[in-house]
Amino acid sequence: MYLGIDVGGTHTDAVALDESGIAAQVKVKTNHKDLLASVNQALEGILATIPAGDVSQLNLSTTLSTNAIVQGTLEDVGMLVVPGPGISADDFMLCRDYHVLKGSIDHRGSEIERLDPTEAQRAIDSCRERGVRVFGCVGKFSTRNPLHENTLRQMLGPAEEEGAAAVTLGHELGGRLNFPRRLATAYFNCAVWRVFGTFADAVEKSLERLGLGHVRVNTLKADGGTFPLNQARKMPVQSIFSGPAASVMGIIALCDINHDSIILDIGGTTTDIAVFVDGQPLVEHDGIHIGSHPTLVRALKVHSIGIGGDSAISVLGEAVRVGPNRLGPSQADCVEPGCACAEGARPTLIDALNCTGAASHGNVEASRQAVAAFARCHAISPEVLAQRAAEAAAEAIFKATRELLDEINDKPVYTIHELLEGRRVVPKRVYLMGGPAQAMREAVHQRFELFTVVPEHYGVANAIGAALTRNTASLELFADTEKGMMFIPALRHRENVPRNYSLKDAERDALNHLLAHLSEMGVFADRDNAQVNDASSFNMVSDGVTTGRNIRVKCQIKPGVAFALAGSGR
Amino acid sequence: MHEAKNSLGVIFFPAFDWSISPTHPEREERLLYTQDQLKEEGLFDIEGVDEHKPGVATREDIERVHFCYPEVEAVATRSHLVAAGGTITAADLVMSGRHKKAFALVRPPGHHAMKVVHGSRGFCNINIEAVMIEHLREKHGKRRIAVVDTDCHHGDGTQDIYWHDPDVLFISLHQDGRTLYPGSGFPQECGGPKALGRTINIPLPPGTSDEGYMMVMERVVLPLLQDFKPEVVINSAGQDNHFTDPITNMNLTAQGYARLTELLQADIAVLEGGYAIQGALPYVNLGICLSMAGLDYSGVREPGFDAVKHSQRPQIAEYLAKLCDALPELYFNPPRLEQMASGGKIEGDWFVRHKDIYYDTDGISEAQTEELLLCDSCRGLLKIVSRTTKNPACLGVEIPLDACPACREKGLALYEESQAKDGYRYCQLINRVDRQYLRHGF
Repeated sequence: MYLGIDVGGTHTDAVALDESGIAAQVKVKTNHKDLLASVNQALEGILATIPAGDVSQLNLSTTLSTNAIVQGTLEDVGMLVVPGPGISADDFMLCRDYHVLKGSIDHRGSEIERLDPTEAQRAIDSCRERGVRVFGCVGKFSTRNPLHENTLRQMLGPAEEEGAAAVTLGHELGGRLNFPRRLATAYFNCAVWRVFGTFADAVEKSLERLGLGHVRVNTLKADGGTFPLNQARKMPVQSIFSGPAASVMGIIALCDINHDSIILDIGGTTTDIAVFVDGQPLVEHDGIHIGSHPTLVRALKVHSIGIGGDSAISVLGEAVRVGPNRLGPSQADCVEPGCACAEGARPTLIDALNCTGAASHGNVEASRQAVAAFARCHAISPEVLAQRAAEAAAEAIFKATRELLDEINDKPVYTIHELLEGRRVVPKRVYLMGGPAQAMREAVHQRFELFTVVPEHYGVANAIGAALTRNTASLELFADTEKGMMFIPALRHRENVPRNYSLKDAERDALNHLLAHLSEMGVFADRDNAQVNDASSFNMVSDGVTTGRNIRVKCQIKPGVAFALAGSGR
Repeated sequence: MHEAKNSLGVIFFPAFDWSISPTHPEREERLLYTQDQLKEEGLFDIEGVDEHKPGVATREDIERVHFCYPEVEAVATRSHLVAAGGTITAADLVMSGRHKKAFALVRPPGHHAMKVVHGSRGFCNINIEAVMIEHLREKHGKRRIAVVDTDCHHGDGTQDIYWHDPDVLFISLHQDGRTLYPGSGFPQECGGPKALGRTINIPLPPGTSDEGYMMVMERVVLPLLQDFKPEVVINSAGQDNHFTDPITNMNLTAQGYARLTELLQADIAVLEGGYAIQGALPYVNLGICLSMAGLDYSGVREPGFDAVKHSQRPQIAEYLAKLCDALPELYFNPPRLEQMASGGKIEGDWFVRHKDIYYDTDGISEAQTEELLLCDSCRGLLKIVSRTTKNPACLGVEIPLDACPACREKGLALYEESQAKDGYRYCQLINRVDRQYLRHGF
């Protein structure tokens, strides 16, 4: 039995399921002051019907790290930064203990200027004096040569509470090039490290107490995959913003998607729009933003707009609009049956859908009253107002979707082949989920003019997605045969390679190292799910003579679900 | 975080699947390290700096500019159409107001491609700046344009295309032609009879450093631009003046490039040459991007930079000072046609000049007779007869933008006549008045 818990902004959803379908589901209000209490409550709810012994795996999607960042409950981090020449690193100052050190590595990974050990030691001492216990060491082009980051790591000494409780090295975050993002990602990873670790300990204790000590625990990532809790303790930053990914993965479990498609998760406040290409969810090109800081955290490409069931309806001249303001719960939710609406109560999208007959959610009579009163104020008939509101919501979603598709299709490419023969994404279907999914189906269908599907269990798709999401991992390999060197930054693996090392060798090595890494973490990964996303090899020429090859390979375990629930359910 | 003072669109297209030959300087690897540097610096995360995909130039975009023999497809590969398309995208981004400035970081380059194209010269087939300029005129109604070519090689192609155009001010800064390909670009080359002083060549002695370039910018280029008042300023941003470039002998640094870019304040920059792909391009391109965006570039420094080693000899400063005194005269008081050494004479109503052109990359020799009808009401009808080791006699007739009715009639008649007379293997007509681009003999 697989268990999935999605700790969301409003609700915490949990499901238990196996190949035959959903065995139990629980929805509780999220307690933001004590996320552990919400998790416990959800677990206890599930265990009321499912024996603990039947559960083999728990996948947890939590807003813990996100909350810590939003609420600013972050630990002080010592940042040791080796930028070298270029855009000034002072502009990326993320925290008080931010030390810019001498030293530089170039794009080929050659050391241009050495690290100054005296200066570095002074920086470390200054951090320690101020009681800083977690450190980020980040250098420009450290993904080509981690020498400076490794030296700083050694200077910080072994991991212990008094010295350096935790150290994040820039190159461990992956091989992608982007120094400012590497800085921000390392910083946030350090800053939430302790709070995440404490939470992980508490979750493990709870599981023990509930007789679930034998269960494999994974944490959801924003890229539509999971990673083991122990791995998450080292890289907690990867666990942020996993909520939208859980929903998208839920759709994969519930529907058999194999075309270019659009996924709409219509919630209370927002609608998340995701795009599938050939049945695969699209991953963000760069990485998500945390606050105003772009990071290297991989995520599914999800675009959020402020349209949801609780979005207020407004009338401006002739035009009826929905959102982006949320004015609290709908009349259908907040008015007790038999009572009258408050004077001047503002109806929301759900109220309008109750009026058109598309929905019958909560107190339908209250919705009718509120819409009628609001329509009277603006001298239109209630039917027209309700209808137009549904259309306006569909229109706003449609417009945002089109912008997202344009952005995807305009993504820069770097070869003539891709530019002239590159494939455009043209969606054939729309999948809807979230609370108002069924009610919005007709309006969405009218506007998109595409086959529109609302799967069964659409209300708990997020928890189903959380339960069934597989482990993912990705890595980048960089090889320079002139230097006779191959480097996989994420695994901190460097080895010497012969001059005839080829692109094919690099692809093979990248995949083997990826699978070996997963198996070291105790994860079984099917070789069929491993894929090379990008592979290129450039002849390096000097004075008219080929001196070597510059090889880059990116590979990943593609996001997916353990099994599909399509068409089943109890 | 940063925010660009000038919003900048970068059309980055490294053509990672195209080369002239595997070890040719113009090969797949050329912009690889530039891409690495720009990505590692997080340039495109800066608010107001965006990366864009290039468009693809159409046959008409090319035929508006060039006489291509035997035809566009024969001389321009897909990569040339993409590079030209990249400059068009740059122009559209700026004209539409999407960005204040744009940088077409594309390859292959184009500034050695002349009016007539039989093949590749100096790695160039299609003049991508000219394609952009004519697009600006055709689609955005611009007319007065300045091109400042800072590539180390003389921009002889752009000079040739705008030789007779009084509305394009072409200024080229380059290593003295006596010491470098293509061996042209001397001050006395200053434009055709209808556009005297609209071509300004500034040959710099080998070893010129940042200091010398700034002197020329401040004393020649900027005053001329100020007087000419162009609607659009274009920079042909070649990067082979860098002290590490393998095929030139100058001493410009990444800082120098950024400063030059800041002084020039071009609306659109287009990458030209530059083949120190590891030691120069990543840093020079970063410097240019930051400078165009109005951001601090003071931290950009290439490995191997040495302030002492890369300064210029005092004799160079003295020489340049004299040059700076003399050159503005060519613009403000251009010499009379008779005094010009650059060739050409008046025969009846026509100005006639002969040119021998060598296509070094493709090994083609061309003999050309160019005739301009000296018209009082317009730029004048242009007629070019070209013979090469590759193609027999070819005729090109251009009825220029805003041609007078007489020139238009004459041009159409000339083209008509050439088909009947059977003296030419290929004929091509560029009729800018009626947007008519015709070819025959294929």
